Amino acid sequence: MTVQERARTFISRRGRQEPVDEQAVARAFFERMEAGDVGGALALTTPGGDFQAVAVGMKGTLGSEGHEFLQELRRALPDLAMTVTRLFVGHDGTAVAEVFLDGTQGDDLFDIVNQEKHVDVKTVWFLHVAGGRIDGIRAYWCQNQLYRRLGVKRLDRVTITA
Amino acid sequence: MSATDVVTAFFEAYRNHDTERMVDLCDLGADFSYVPFEAWGRQRVVRGDGKVCTIGKTIWTTLIDSFPNLTNEVTWMTADDDGNVAVEVVISGTQAKTFGAIGNQGLHYDLPHVFLFHVNEDDRIDDITAYWDGADWNRQLGRIEVD
Repeated sequence: MTVQERARTFISRRGRQEPVDEQAVARAFFERMEAGDVGGALALTTPGGDFQAVAVGMKGTLGSEGHEFLQELRRALPDLAMTVTRLFVGHDGTAVAEVFLDGTQGDDLFDIVNQEKHVDVKTVWFLHVAGGRIDGIRAYWCQNQLYRRLGVKRLDRVTITA
Repeated sequence: MSATDVVTAFFEAYRNHDTERMVDLCDLGADFSYVPFEAWGRQRVVRGDGKVCTIGKTIWTTLIDSFPNLTNEVTWMTADDDGNVAVEVVISGTQAKTFGAIGNQGLHYDLPHVFLFHVNEDDRIDDITAYWDGADWNRQLGRIEVD
């Protein structure tokens, strides 16, 4: 068994080496996020794994920057819906998910002042799964679309909306 | 030819500004979606959605015309057995002409993109979806308005 093949297995409670269902892990992550269970979503991850939210320039670990990002998303968009519209798993164990984010702003989000506007943005997430846990997340979306939906007028004045 | 070979050939054609080859690598009815591409008018929003042979080719041709040294560097790729391919690619170029609402200030950009492809059983791309951060792109090209 190669290293890559081994990474796509996990040791079950019965002590058996069994294949990981990366799609199920990815779906569980988004379901827990949508339910507002940030802790539950993070419980599926490895705290020292890499995290990157490209559009807001956040880069670090899942346990630190990832935690901060997911908390901010849930806090600022309390009715957040995360609809997975496409999901496949590459040979390297990366779950590739297109996710439609939909919610109403209830607090400032990434320095964007809350105007209680509705936001709907298509996003794409790469969740690398190894040994049954997510050990890497990279998320992409268009921040310009987010600004447009939330009433930001100028890129040099994100905190000013008029 | 594997799905990743087809996609690799697609980006090679893009680097060579060979839009005919890019289109040839796609199925005749291939779907196309450049997600961040939105032009907001008073009455309607024009989006970058449609077919490769119409919207896709037009956008690629216009981009190459506005950024004559347009190039790309594939930094990561993964694929499954069903023809799905995901790519992280940095696209770069120096502006020489106005592109849409982005006036030409002669500035250069380097921008991470994600492309999702589906390659069919005939080794043709039948779906292209792309993501990038339009705010970063605008900022690098000197445009600060969010329209």
